[in-house]
Amino acid sequence: MPTGPSRRHVLGGALGLGALGALTACGQGTSTSSATTLNVWGGVPPESGPGALVEAFEAAHPEYTVVYTRFINDDRGNLKLDTALQGGVDIDVYFTYSMESMALRAGSGLALDVTDRIEAAPELAPFLDTEAPKAYWQDGQVSALATTREPNMVVANLDRLEAAGLELPTEWTVEEFVETARILTTDGAHGCYSMPDVPRIGLGPNFWFTPDGDSNFSEPLFLEHFTRSRDLISDGVLFPWTEVLARQLEAYQQNAFISEEFALWVTAPFSLRYLYDATNYPHEFRAAAAPIPTSDTGSWNTGVFGNFVMINPKSTKHDLAWQFVRFWITEGSQFMAPGGKIPTLQNVDTDQMLDSLLGPEAEDWFDVESFRRVLFDDDPELFVDTNLTAFPEITLAVEQQRDVCWIGERSPEDAIASIDAQATAAIERYGRRN
Amino acid sequence: MATVTAPAVTSAPPAPGNRRRLGPPDRVGWLFILPNLVGVALFTFVPLVSVVILAFTDWNLVSGLGGIEFIGVDNFTNVLADPLFWGSVGRTVVYAGVSVPLTVLLGMALALALDRDIPGRGALRAVFFMPYIVSTVAIGMTWLMLMNPSSGLVNQVLGAFGLTDLPGWFASSYWALPALIVIAIWSGMGYAAVIYLSALQDAPTDLYEAAEMDGAGPWRRFRTITWPSLLPTTVFLLVTLFIGTSQGFGLVALLTAGGPGDATTVLSFYMYQTGFQFYRFGYAAAIGMVTFVGVLALTLAMWRAQRGKALND
Repeated sequence: MPTGPSRRHVLGGALGLGALGALTACGQGTSTSSATTLNVWGGVPPESGPGALVEAFEAAHPEYTVVYTRFINDDRGNLKLDTALQGGVDIDVYFTYSMESMALRAGSGLALDVTDRIEAAPELAPFLDTEAPKAYWQDGQVSALATTREPNMVVANLDRLEAAGLELPTEWTVEEFVETARILTTDGAHGCYSMPDVPRIGLGPNFWFTPDGDSNFSEPLFLEHFTRSRDLISDGVLFPWTEVLARQLEAYQQNAFISEEFALWVTAPFSLRYLYDATNYPHEFRAAAAPIPTSDTGSWNTGVFGNFVMINPKSTKHDLAWQFVRFWITEGSQFMAPGGKIPTLQNVDTDQMLDSLLGPEAEDWFDVESFRRVLFDDDPELFVDTNLTAFPEITLAVEQQRDVCWIGERSPEDAIASIDAQATAAIERYGRRN
Repeated sequence: MATVTAPAVTSAPPAPGNRRRLGPPDRVGWLFILPNLVGVALFTFVPLVSVVILAFTDWNLVSGLGGIEFIGVDNFTNVLADPLFWGSVGRTVVYAGVSVPLTVLLGMALALALDRDIPGRGALRAVFFMPYIVSTVAIGMTWLMLMNPSSGLVNQVLGAFGLTDLPGWFASSYWALPALIVIAIWSGMGYAAVIYLSALQDAPTDLYEAAEMDGAGPWRRFRTITWPSLLPTTVFLLVTLFIGTSQGFGLVALLTAGGPGDATTVLSFYMYQTGFQFYRFGYAAAIGMVTFVGVLALTLAMWRAQRGKALND
């Protein structure tokens, strides 16, 4: 039988603990690569723009090397980036795509304050705009810059619209949108996939919160939106939510639009790539763009400034990192355009952007002018949320209650009351710590 | 450890209280198990200890080790007052409480059927065992298609029998959990049957012969001979399946992501949400600790009940 631990065992244990300590200490490490090498982590595949952008930066600054690492922009990919950031992996510049991740990273001091640097760069003055922010502001400081505009739009099946004798709207209200969707509803197809986010249209940024930071779900627009959507689903005007859940369609809406299961689609420019890919998404109709409808209470587009670029405060190369960030936002935009990224500063020619968004045979698949009008000429009103208190918890509560309400198992009143209660509890619980 | 590293070639065991020096065979033994030991230490022991420590902290991972803030037992008091936690406990109890006994029952029935001399018995055993070794993703995707409310085979068959108002399965908060239970039973009963089949080999044939000679019918033979001989296996299956099911995560993550609403947010998925979607790692660790204590208590209760039953018999 074993006796007590020997000196050797004790020594071994101590060494083990030491090794563990060393491993943990790595978590506090800083940049280890060469002072002329910049490590950038982003979610866009290199071949969709970042590769060419990096080459252009290196050509302009041959003394530097940029290593671009792509992470998949999903839960696991973001977890990988977060682990790398806090674990001391050599990352100088990185991208944040969801506001849930933004809440964590900016709130945990993983974003360098770049306010002074922006103030010193005249061409970046739009990022200092606090009325219509294009950056993530926290305590009066800018910690992330939006690199792209992501306006929403209503993509219409033009053939269905013309067959119904309808004109493509250049401006319309929510009521007119609903009426159009009703007309387009047939025995075999629905008018629209889902309603535009009417509360967001009316309330704009931070719409989940009152000015005091409390839950804002007692605002009547939320209940009206749930109620109207549910009624329109019952009428067959909107896509049945049971099908959405059963087919896990939220991530694959394009498949149902391509197969003409609905005629109007509230979406963003990244969806357009499916519509000119006739090989993988064969279809025969042309598509056109209409603006997001407006309401009595507002005209926010519901789209965002996004794809935030941030500098890791642990980096030892803040100046080089800032040089690269500045390049990405200004001269670098032209290289991201082929991947469909509309730059925040709109510093890429509109025709070039349309070529990128609508593919090589644009006229075959799109009413090109409608996309020019809706995405660019109309200058849609985009937003950036800045209050991210308990953001993941509230997001989940909204999605859960939306689902049970729209499949008809819970009344809109009960669903909104439940969201309000959960949001209030989450804000109360986590608000102080965030 | 001493039992592993004290082969017969070593000298007499040391007197109590004396230190024993490691001889060459000991070192070789240690070297053999060292890789496994390191793996267990790194991937089991360290995480286990970490979870215990984290349960007393407020930590979101992104803030790094420096962001760990010890908050005493706050996480535990919050867990016990959290209606979402208790909701997930209730769903886990239903999920495990229905699927495990039915899996065991159907596995036993299957084993009794396959224990007879029927044609194709080997092939049938393989077929029923197959779901146990097929990947969860393949099972999930197949059932997702089968249980589509409008175009799935299950509802089409039910409709062919004249049934109306058919279940919405994964698109219904009333039917999603029953659907998961059906899949859990389907994929687990083959495993239970194989375990029972091996137990049936040990059933005393002489007792069966004697009972038959005494005129005992099939039910009486089952009740007085088969069932007692299968009792230890039944307890084993109940305990292992209960532990496995209460930790069940794959099917929920794949098929429903806890929804619709929170209809299928079982404990393991709630813990995942808290940790990996909300990054509340301290709170998730506390949920894990409470879950561990609960599962351990129920497991011990089952084990004690079986031991008491065996002693009474």
